[in-house]
Amino acid sequence: MVVATFLGINSFREVAQLFVNGILNGAGYGLLGAAFALILGTTGRFHFALALNYALAGFLTAVLESDAGLPLGPAIVVGLAAGVLLSVLCEGIVYRALASRAGVSTLLSVFVASLGLLIAGQNAMNLLWGSTTRSLTGLNETTVHISSVIFSSFALALLIAALVLCGGLEGILRRTGLGRQILAVRVNPLMASSVGVDVGRIFLIVFAIGGLLAGVAAIFQGLRFATTPDMGTKPIFYALVVAFFAGTHRGPLFQLATGIAIGMVEAESTIWLSAKLSSLVVFGLLLLYLSETEIRATLERARRRRRRPTATARAAAGTATLR
Amino acid sequence: MTYWIDILDQALIFSIFAVSLNLLMGVGGQVSAAHAAFGAVGGYAAGYLSQKHGVPFGACLVIGMVFATVVGFLVSLPALGLAGEYLILLTLTAQTIVLVVISSVGALGGEFGLAEIKAANIFGKDLVRPTDFLPWLAIFAALVWAACWAMGASSFGQVLRGIRDDELATQALGKNTYRYKVAAFAVTAGLAGLAGALLVYYNGIAAPGLFGFDVSMSIIVMIVLGGSGNLVGALLGTAFVIGSVGFFEKAINLNPDKASLTRLMAYGIALVVVLFLRPQGILPEGAGKALRRRLRDGRAAAPDEIAAAERADEERETAAAQAPAAAMAPAAAGGGHDGPPAALTVAQPAAPAPAPTDGRGAVLELRGLEKAFGGVRAVHDLTFSLPRGETTALIGPNGAGKTTIFNMITGVFPPDAGHVYLRGEDITGMPLHSVTGRGLARTFQDVRIFGRLSARENVALAVPASANGAGVRERVGEKAARERAMELLKFVGLERQAEVPVAVLPYGDQKLVSLARVLATGAEVVLLDEPASGIDARWLETTLGLIGELRAEGRTVCIVEHNLEVVERLASHVVFLEQGTVTAEGTMDELKSQERLVEAYFGMA
Repeated sequence: MVVATFLGINSFREVAQLFVNGILNGAGYGLLGAAFALILGTTGRFHFALALNYALAGFLTAVLESDAGLPLGPAIVVGLAAGVLLSVLCEGIVYRALASRAGVSTLLSVFVASLGLLIAGQNAMNLLWGSTTRSLTGLNETTVHISSVIFSSFALALLIAALVLCGGLEGILRRTGLGRQILAVRVNPLMASSVGVDVGRIFLIVFAIGGLLAGVAAIFQGLRFATTPDMGTKPIFYALVVAFFAGTHRGPLFQLATGIAIGMVEAESTIWLSAKLSSLVVFGLLLLYLSETEIRATLERARRRRRRPTATARAAAGTATLR
Repeated sequence: MTYWIDILDQALIFSIFAVSLNLLMGVGGQVSAAHAAFGAVGGYAAGYLSQKHGVPFGACLVIGMVFATVVGFLVSLPALGLAGEYLILLTLTAQTIVLVVISSVGALGGEFGLAEIKAANIFGKDLVRPTDFLPWLAIFAALVWAACWAMGASSFGQVLRGIRDDELATQALGKNTYRYKVAAFAVTAGLAGLAGALLVYYNGIAAPGLFGFDVSMSIIVMIVLGGSGNLVGALLGTAFVIGSVGFFEKAINLNPDKASLTRLMAYGIALVVVLFLRPQGILPEGAGKALRRRLRDGRAAAPDEIAAAERADEERETAAAQAPAAAMAPAAAGGGHDGPPAALTVAQPAAPAPAPTDGRGAVLELRGLEKAFGGVRAVHDLTFSLPRGETTALIGPNGAGKTTIFNMITGVFPPDAGHVYLRGEDITGMPLHSVTGRGLARTFQDVRIFGRLSARENVALAVPASANGAGVRERVGEKAARERAMELLKFVGLERQAEVPVAVLPYGDQKLVSLARVLATGAEVVLLDEPASGIDARWLETTLGLIGELRAEGRTVCIVEHNLEVVERLASHVVFLEQGTVTAEGTMDELKSQERLVEAYFGMA
């Protein structure tokens, strides 16, 4: 207890509660991270507009339920379908055409185009349906108690859905012909194409799967909290963090595990930091992680320099300066 | 009227953001999604010092710029060594972190920011109304435009363009590309800091909303819409994005909320449409130059560069038809491509270095090099030397490791074991630009030209003095570099194509530009990777003549080549490689006298 007090921990119940909150929130990050990583890792497209797929699925579902009076089930189906369709259209109509003419600058062109799509889409939703916050109300939320830890049934359902979807996708990738084709395209699209894989079709399928995963994450966001036209902006940042921490070529279950780990780190950091600053921990860790490669390279260069003869030795060796 | 002056003031402030990011992203090819965050650093630093400590306006601007420069510098250190998608991610991360910090720290006002910033005071006059700000913002903006234009047009800007088009090739010209990128990142972050400070003073508040992620996106949109790499284009993009506020609110008469949403939606759509229809933006890089050339030459038909390339082709074909013998003669003898190559009468490369230290006349030595890629051993126990002033050819079957050896010598990737000595100095694993700076330059199998730069700019970029010094000294250096570039283009017979973007030149001419570029480094040792591949007889003869010239000047040349006629004609020393190791060495005649090699290689080559 002395140690706990020294560490600023009020009670172990608090730690356990934060631990569980982290797992449940992290499942959402992991689901979206798996979607982003699948798309970037397979197609090389920096699909920032995944935030728009997410927002469209969540917000449209809420609009259909609250404004059009549709029951939640059909509203979810339509919302998810719209998210998937938009994702496929982003690739089929915009990115593919840009990539075919952008050459080496494809990454930048696609990123900028995805920014354009996100800006246009978010504001179009605002204009069409207004910016009023809407929640999904068709299901009753219950509170689950395990010992002294409590959490919402929706959060638990999100965790289960994330495990099922990521596990299922992992199974598809490892055990089916389609999965092998996706992995082949991921490793070498040209080679995959030369052995008969339709790379364009695989890209569309990958965008569809990514749109679906993002849509499911958005539906749970709507059930647990609320939906808005710009609801995708913050989650997409977490998806990026998950995808790059895990590595964009790692499988969906690994992405999910990374998302959960990030959720736990974020949640536990609230013991010492405000909720707002806790996100700083996540992004700070990513900054360190990305910097680590450069730091290692710098140290390696310094080590190599130390191995070389000194300036005096070089002078003695007759080094000449040209021009 | 005040409404439109307000719009104009904002456009002037945002033009500083846009023009500075254009230098980094459009000219240098480095994406930054954190430009608004650097503005926040400058803006909050200025706002805090002004509000809490009463620091004067001018000092606040300077301190804001310095803070933003330092933060930009720190962010760039890890960022600029990363691949494209990681750079985007890291700058997005930096943007997020800065915003979280400024909206969380109590001393900076948290979510609400710092209100009631003291009015900017210039020469005793408080700037309060938009009309008060207008002349001063115009002056600040004009100064930044001028500075960015000067940097873009300088040798610094040319190196940034080189990095954007082909970073490895730029390193091969002796440029420390990492330092250039860090410098560009820090300088442009500082300018964003200035814009941020002005924005804070203009609004009288430093709030997170002024510098959000959407603002960073807007600045990117300004550049992409207006024209990436084109300063006027960036200004046009700024005018479009900021001016559209007035258009939707006043011209179409939408209420401010609806106008804002419609405007954002419109420029999101416009961004995608422009990427489709004009990927380089409304005013692409070089549009001004092309227009000036068209006006000067009185041509208005096809793009002048393409016309120039076509004309050059026709002239070459005519010359070749009229004087086939001359066209086939070695350049040194006065024939060849596009007239006789000029002798290099001035600014010759440095004289060969002092006598080699090992007493065997070798200028470059490779000792015990090893390289494996995964489980594949590409080079094994490789040891040989390049005799000073001679031409050495590396030959052998495909997969023998020839290009891998060039890559190890020049630090493109370090060997797993062994050493490379240049004039006795261990250069093993040194970065490519350091190797070039020590007098060893290379070409690549694919020409790796900077397509959007002219032939002269391509070559001038490689002149070592071109990026040294500052101010007048730099301008003198640039002039000398331009003159040297023209001499070399004359030497390879391309002076008429000097101002043509290299992308539109025929492949043979592009190879000659890459040769002129490597000569411009002044290197004593030149490695040429398949100089004769992919070109026809006219360019081949010119190229061979030029390589012969290099040897005549006393330079040490090493070529990787499959064409044995070329090897026979050029090389006095031949190294035969099989499976990454030397299996025979000597003159071509000596190698051809070995029955095993004749059966295994020469007979089928």
